[in-house]
Parts: sequence; C-alpha cells; structure tokens
Amino acid sequence: MAEVAVALRSDELARIREQLGREPSLVELHAFDAQWSEHCSYKSSRHLLKNLPTTGTAVVLGPAEDSGIVHLGEWNGERYGIVIAHESHNHPSQVVPFEGAATGIGGIVRDVLCMGAHVIAVADPLRFGIIDDPNSHQRYVAQGVVDGISAYGNAIGVPNIAGDLYFDPRFDDNCLVNVVAMGIVKESEIIHSYAPPGADGWDIVLVGKATDPSGFGGASFSSLTLDAADEDSNKGAVQVPDPFLKSVLMRASYRVFALLHAQGVTVGFKDLGAGGIMGCSAEITSAGGYGAQIDLDAVNVAIEGMRPEVIAVGETQERLLWVVPPALTPELLRIYNEEFTLPEIAYNARATKIGTVTAQKRYVLQHRGQTVMDVDIEFLTGSIRDDLPFTETAPPSATAERPLVTGVQIDELIERVLGHADVCSREPLYRRYDGVVRGCTVIPRGAAGAGVLAPVPGSPLGVALAVAGNPRMSHIDVRLAAEHAVYESVRKVVATGARALALTDCLNFGNPRKIEHYNELIAAIQGLARAANAFQTPFVSGNVSLYNESASGRAIPASPIVACVGSFSDIATVVTMPFKHAGSVLYLIGAPQAALGGSVLLDVLGRSDEHLPHIDYDLVRAQHGLLYEASQARLFRSAHALSNGGLLTGIAEMAFATMRKGRAAIGAQIDDAWQWTHGSIGDLEAYFGEAGGFVVEVAADDVEAFEGIADDVPGVFEIGVTIDRPVLVVDDQAFDLHRLRNIWSAPLREVYP
Amino acid sequence: MRRAVAINLKIPDNAAYTALVTLRRLGIELARLERAQIVRFDDAPDPTTLMAAVEADEALFNPNKHRVTVLDSDAPRPGEVWIVQDNDNRPVGWRLYSSPDLPADRAVLAQAAERLLCNPAIERTIFPK
Amino acid sequence: MSRRIAVLVFPGTNSEEETLRLLRDCGGTAELVHWSRAATLPSFDAYVLPGGFAYEDRIRAGAIAAHDAMMDHVILGAQAGKLVLGICNGAQILLEAGLVPGTAPVRRPTAAFTRNRPEPHFVCTHVYVKLAIEPARSVLTAALDHAALVPAWTANGEGRLAASDDHLRELQDGDHIAFVYANEDGSVDDTANPNQSALGVAGLCNREGNVLALMPHPERDAWTFNHPDRRRSAAMLAPSGGAVLFRSFVEAVVR
Repeated sequence: MAEVAVALRSDELARIREQLGREPSLVELHAFDAQWSEHCSYKSSRHLLKNLPTTGTAVVLGPAEDSGIVHLGEWNGERYGIVIAHESHNHPSQVVPFEGAATGIGGIVRDVLCMGAHVIAVADPLRFGIIDDPNSHQRYVAQGVVDGISAYGNAIGVPNIAGDLYFDPRFDDNCLVNVVAMGIVKESEIIHSYAPPGADGWDIVLVGKATDPSGFGGASFSSLTLDAADEDSNKGAVQVPDPFLKSVLMRASYRVFALLHAQGVTVGFKDLGAGGIMGCSAEITSAGGYGAQIDLDAVNVAIEGMRPEVIAVGETQERLLWVVPPALTPELLRIYNEEFTLPEIAYNARATKIGTVTAQKRYVLQHRGQTVMDVDIEFLTGSIRDDLPFTETAPPSATAERPLVTGVQIDELIERVLGHADVCSREPLYRRYDGVVRGCTVIPRGAAGAGVLAPVPGSPLGVALAVAGNPRMSHIDVRLAAEHAVYESVRKVVATGARALALTDCLNFGNPRKIEHYNELIAAIQGLARAANAFQTPFVSGNVSLYNESASGRAIPASPIVACVGSFSDIATVVTMPFKHAGSVLYLIGAPQAALGGSVLLDVLGRSDEHLPHIDYDLVRAQHGLLYEASQARLFRSAHALSNGGLLTGIAEMAFATMRKGRAAIGAQIDDAWQWTHGSIGDLEAYFGEAGGFVVEVAADDVEAFEGIADDVPGVFEIGVTIDRPVLVVDDQAFDLHRLRNIWSAPLREVYP
Repeated sequence: MRRAVAINLKIPDNAAYTALVTLRRLGIELARLERAQIVRFDDAPDPTTLMAAVEADEALFNPNKHRVTVLDSDAPRPGEVWIVQDNDNRPVGWRLYSSPDLPADRAVLAQAAERLLCNPAIERTIFPK
Repeated sequence: MSRRIAVLVFPGTNSEEETLRLLRDCGGTAELVHWSRAATLPSFDAYVLPGGFAYEDRIRAGAIAAHDAMMDHVILGAQAGKLVLGICNGAQILLEAGLVPGTAPVRRPTAAFTRNRPEPHFVCTHVYVKLAIEPARSVLTAALDHAALVPAWTANGEGRLAASDDHLRELQDGDHIAFVYANEDGSVDDTANPNQSALGVAGLCNREGNVLALMPHPERDAWTFNHPDRRRSAAMLAPSGGAVLFRSFVEAVVR
C-alpha cells in the first residue's frame, strides 16, 4: 500500500483491517481516506462543537444536515424558513484562485438547494495576505478569488448581499475564502439529506456533470498542509466550476420540487461534496438507517477507463443525488434530461440511476461485475474521533488602569484610519457582484453593514444577513475575538432594524495536531458558545477548516468567522446607513472603552494592547432591544453598526454614502468626546476604539419619543448633529469629507480597477 | 523578433465545448475544437526564454490549469482563426479540426467566424497565411 | 382570449422570475417558456427576453443564444410585427440576432453590447435611463411620458454599445436610440454613462418600433423597497419607477 497516496494514519488503517478482517481494497482505502478525513468526519472537532447552542424557538433544523433552517415568518397561511449554510474553500483558492473561489460558491449553493430551497443570496467573508506588491502571489490570489466569486454567483443569478475583507501577512500562504449561502423554503416542503422511512429498494439517482478525474483527492487535499511544491502534484484536485450547468441544474431541481409537492412524496436529496459519489450515497442512506448498492458502471463519466476509486471518490463539481421511489424515477429523469436537456448543456451531463437503497446496512460498490467495496456502512460513516492533546488556557486578566493614547492628534489619525486596508471602501469588490438579481433586494452591499432581502414576493417579510470575524482581535485573545465575531455579526443585523435569529460559523484554524492551534480552536468554540447563548442566537449550521498552514509551518491567525441571520415581519421598518437629512440629532448607542486591543488605531500607531474590549452582555442586550423598539417605531432616519475604525469611521461612512452626484451631501458635527464621556476615557479611545455600538440619526421631532424609550438604557449618548455641508466637524476641527472620501475610496481601487 | 504563444486550459474548457456544439448545430462539421488565449510579443527572446517568461507571469499562467505553446510564427496555425477585439496582441485563437488530425480549411474557418465566432461590429479576424 | 406574453428562458437565463412577476403585476398574461418548449412560441403574442447569462456568455454575450431554436420563432414573430422586449442579456441577444437595429440581414449584427470601460468587468450599480425617442416612435414606449426618466440597476460585464462610425450614424439617423443614460435630475452628460457606451446609449429599438433592447434592469427597481432613495414613509410593496416601462409594454400587448 505504500505507493498509494492517502492521508490515513497507521492506527486508522489498523482499525480498518481489524473491522474488515482483511486488507482493504484500493477502492476501500480511498473511500476511508476521504470519509475519515477531517473535512468529512470532523474527527478532531465534532465533539467540541457539541458545546455550541443549537436549539431555540426559531430553529426549524439545527446542524445535522447540509444546511440549517430558521423560521422567518408566516405569509398567506404558509410558514417560511430561511436555509443557511457556511463553508470554506481556502486551499483550492490559494492554488487556483478563480476556480477555487468559484467552486466554493457552487458548493455552498448546492448545500442550500438540496434542502428543497430556492437559493436567494450568497455572502463572502475573505481574508488575504499583504497585497501591496502588484506582482505578488497574494495579489494574484486576491484578484482571482473576487473574479471567481463574481463570475459564478452572477451567472447563476444569486445576489451577493454581504461579506467582509481583511488583510494580514499571516494569510500570505493561506488565504481564507469562506462562503455563505441562504435559501427560502416553505417549511412544509423541506427535503432532508437522508433516505426517508420506507426507502428500502428505492432508487439512487445521480444528477449533474459527468464524473471526471478532476477533484480526485480533494477531501484529503483540504486536510493537508499547503506547500509550494505541492501545487503541481495537486493538479488532479483542481475542481472545475460550471455555473452554466449549475444554473440549469438549479432550475430543473426547482421543477422537481414542485412535482414532489404536487405528489406529496417524501424523498432524500443531497449535494456531492467531499468524498464524491461514495461519500454522498453512503451518508444519505446511512443517515436513514439503510445501506446502499451502487453500480459504478452506471455513472455517467467524462472519459472512459477511469479507475473505480476515481469514479467513487472524485469530487467533480455540479452533482447532486436523489433517493426516490422507483415509480418517480422516470419523471425525475425526464425533467432533468429532456425538459432541461442536461446532456446538451455539458458533455454527458444527465440524471441517471446508479444504485439502490438496501435494508442491509452494507455499503457495496460494483465495478465491471466485481465487488470493489463491501463494508459496514455505519463503520464507514460513523463518527470517528481524534482526542488530541490540549491545555486549558485562561483568558487574560482584565486590567482596570491603562495608559491613554497621547501624543497624537485626530487630524494625524483620521486619514490613516480611513485609508487602512481593513477600513477603506469595499465598493471596488462588491460592485463586481450582482447584488440585485431576483428583484428582492432591499439593502444591497454598501447601504448597511448587513444585506436585506424581501424573499417572499408580495409579502412584507424580510431577512437580513451579515458576517464578521476580526483577525486583528484573534491575534490577541481568540476566545474573546470569537465572542466579538458573534457580537459584530449580530450588531450589523440589529442596526438594520432586524431581530437577530440565528448564526452559522466557519472555524478556520491551523494544524490541530499542534497544541497551540488546538487550544485556539477550543477557546474559540467556548467564546462562540458564550456569545451565542447571551444573544439567544443558536448556531444552525457550520463548517470547520483545519490545517490552514504552509509546509513551513506558518499558520493563519485563528479565524472563527460568523454569519448572522435576522428577520423582519415588515420591511417597512428597515433602516439604512446613509444620513438622510441635515439637522438630525446623532446618538451613540454603546459604551466606549479604554481597551484598544485589535483596533485599527493601534495598528496605525504601531502600538499594541493585549486587551480587547470586553462585552457587557446585559448592557448590549438592552441596547439591541432599544434598536429594535426604536426601529419598529420608525424613529431612526439612519443607523450604522460600528466596527473597524470605530466611531469616527462609522460617522464618516454614513456621510460618504450621501455624497452622490446631484445630491446635497450631509456631514456631521460631533461634540468633543469629553462632553459626553465626561473624561471617563480618552478622546481618541472614544473616537477610534472598537468596543462596538451604533450611531443613529433621529429627526429633531422624534428626539422626545426616542429619549423616552432610551431613558432606562445605559450607554446612550447624544453626540452631535447632521449638517448640510460635506464636512465632518469634531469639536473645533473640520475635515473635508471629499478629501476623506478620496482617501477611503482609493486603496482597493488600485487592486480591483 | 515578433513571436506569439498560445495558452490553453489543461482543465476542461467548457466554453470550447459549447462553441463546438453550436457550430455543429449550424451545420459546420467539426471533429474537435480548441480555444487558446494568444499573446503576441513585439520583441520576443528565443522560444525557451519566452516560454519561461510566460510561465513565470502569474497574470498569464497558472501551472495548475494552463499549458503554453510557443508558436512557430506570429500567425494563426493551420485550422486556427484569431479573433481580435480591442487589443491586437491578445486575440482569442479558435483551432478547428474537420477530423481528429485534420485542421479545418480556410473556407470552414471563414464560415465559422462569420456565423458565430466573430461579430464584425466589434471584432476582426486573422486567418492563417 | 387574452393576449399572452412569453418570457423566454434560455439555458443560463437568470432574471426570469422577477421579469414574470412584474409583467403580471402590470396586468400582463405571461408565462415562462423554457428552451425545450421552443415549439410553443408561435402561439404567443409577445416575447420578453430577460436578463442573465444565456450559454454563460460563451464566445460573446448573446452570440450562442442568437442561434437558439427559440430565436427562430422570435425572429419570425418580430418580422410579423409581434412585440419583443429584451433586457440586459436579452438585449445582447437581440443585437446578436440582428433584430435591433434590424438594418441588416438577421444574425448579421451591426452593433454589439460589449465589454465595459473603463472598468473591463461586471459592474452592478444603480442608474437612470431617459426616453430619447418620441414615445409613439415605438409601440412599446407609447404610454411613457416624453423624455420619461426610468430608474434601473445596471448589472453586466458587456453593456457598452460599440459599432463602426457608419453604423452609429445609422442608429442616430434612423432614430433607433430609444434610451440614453441620464442623471437623476434628467440631465444627460458623460458622467451619467456608466460604461462609456457609444452615444450614451442604454437602449435601442428597431426601425418598425416593435423590438426594444434595453441594457439596464428596470425590473430590479420595480417595487419601492428596491429603490435606493425610497422614502421611509412609502408603501414598500407599491410599484417603483422601473415599473412604468413594463406597464407601457403590457398596454401595447393588450391593445
């Protein structure tokens, strides 16, 4: 076996030999290699993830299948659910950025589709290395990834409504391309990723692209470290995106959903990801308590003579798998192959029956009349577990006293903060993404920290989506950084007037076999759990991406990335970010803190602080309640969640969004921070600290009503007014907003011309 | 001297497949079709040096998905038509085969260009000498 | 029997649902027709080609779809005077099929919507388009006001009109320029033009006025909640400015 390139460890091989009572066949070896990879089995993280809250009144389906589902609301007697999934496509994107990122979108869309949902949005949290050098691989990656996301998402007609972007030298060798997809489904029409009761003898139908050798070895590829020398030997793992085929597959599947609904048939549907045909067919049948018998000769292939292990575990894109009663199969095949003409869309693409569900819990593969795999299906798919060594790490102790930032002035800082790579305008990216296809967009990117859709045509229901995860924070304290990721994603959703419902996460870390990285993973999950419990926003789906390090051992910053879904019962209460009128009163809702750890301000100054802002959950919950109540009462003209760059950055962004041709720009006059902090912290900490919070714009006529409901909420400060000039005035200093906007707009325009 | 390289995908080329299917539907009999990004250099070094330079340029070449061929001359190969839009130095090369090893003749190339591959309002064709 | 509108779905079309929804909201009797049902097209009275990426814009935007069997029927229908509206990718297909401006044999294009400038890639942004012909010049725009200003989203990588000088002159002389890009106040200048489209063109019609090709998407600014500058007090589900063109189209179909 020495010549076979598999990542199975010797103890795992021994377990397989012992269970089978013989040497595994080549196909079996590759099957276990894929199925027991970290990517498929979560062997070193599954038991940790049990600590995350996953239940709640809004949860329709927690993290058990390809996507989670939360209850959005009712309309015309139907209950609607939001389907949400989150994944990474980090390693492929580092090697072939365009294809890697595009297939990331393609894969996450299938996860949502296979729940019986219509796909309504994607989002893209991205982390890149330093791209200052135009000829660097890092810039090539940063450009190719965005082009790949744009090309794929735009073509399939799914709007990109949220995302974020950070740069850090520790992403130089391993970019992060996380992708989130959202769908809408009637809760009575959800399709599950398992063979339903009574499925013994049902057909297993493979749909989509012809299986080819591309993506062979993908599952173990994603769990091995990356090295420049690998780039050539990994070429078999390049997955080729085909959004054209996907677009047709989605629409054909929507037609099948309508058929199933009309006939009242319960079936199983699942996307093919890591582990290919083998992984998908084994999981969908074993999850229903069955086995499967698959005929590899029935698989539609792109080239003849492919080895059985390649057909079985290759990760060719754009494929899905149905488990249906035999009586339904002819109509299923007709829809895909004749009505939607799959064989004419891509070479040998089709729907085809490849096997049968069996009551006997064996997983059997046939090839050329031979049985090439025959194993206990629960042994194959059951959770294997790696107990890795870790040490309990204590959170850094809080310190009450800290020196204030002194010796610099606002005017020296504001331009450098606004031009910082983690703060400057993201428009050069998101203008390449179609944010409005499907005609349901209420808030596209750039008009708030969260995107908002009206996903049920004709109904006032709304859904908000935002992402967060700050690597500058996780440098310092990964547990608290994970809490901040939850807090920031929730905050962005709340700022639009939505009620935060649920979360989904992607945990991107280094090698868990190195104790310091495993410690980080454990700490991050503790932080996520704490914050999610505090906000009562359970995790309904998620993904773990480990081994994000190069062969030289350089790992990424621990990166727990979180997406939050929120809901509106009526989109009339949606609040956007741009200032609306001069003469409004501005409030800060939030409590500035002296702690500056992880802030852009300290990065700009080249200073450090080992303390992140803490999160006072009682206070924050009260503030979020105020946001919701005031939004419902339509008391906000605009609102913005504060994050990178702090208060002045947030106010500048609210003003920048008003600066459009033919429009009168709206600026702001902000009082000296000392007047509202009463000197409890320094002015620079108040202006640039990143403890969170919101800026809201209230019409003068509504001040009384707002202050009435804000009365018993701590941390609400009147900080200034909006003005009818393109100027940001801070105490007695005036900053030209045109100049600031140019500084803020320029950096990414050079990278994304 | 002037030289040109052809950069082909070594992963499946979906666009080439669709072009082949469409040309056949238009009644143009073809056995196969290849698509390449052509890059023309005004002052190129010898082929080996040129190949190395192209392979070192990440904006043009990724070893995981591309294959580079230095052409014998700065002109389309037999069976190949170049379609130029804005940039004379960056045409798309369509190489058509009437049977697996027989490059399409000039009449077939001209027909394929006129009916599908070239929009004369915005593009022009370069045929083999 | 009411007059029926077919919303054509080519492989890769992606804006069919919102297009259908708006046609129905405007009172039209409309349904989706997928490519495998091309043979049913002659029974329809009007055709709408929605946005998307038919055949993923392979070769050129609209190039392959222009040869699709569905277009055989659209070409025959257009020649017989049926109304045809193409939006974004649908507009690109109409130009590749030669139905617009329609001054040369079909499938021998004299112009194209092609790669944007100065940003040579997909750009999604809000725009306004202004009616640049007299409303009655095209039956599709007959119910619009003179110089009507229509809000829309532009979302394409190949939306810049390009043609030879002779063909551009032909577009002007033949009064084919139905819509130009405009500012929010209705003024027209280079800064309103998002992609350096020749003559500031956003939409073209044919000589007879029964075929209209429009690059931006009015159907994505069709309901108040779609509109970036909506007032807080407005009814979010009420029609927005983009609906006027569809209303004019539906009125023309029904008339």
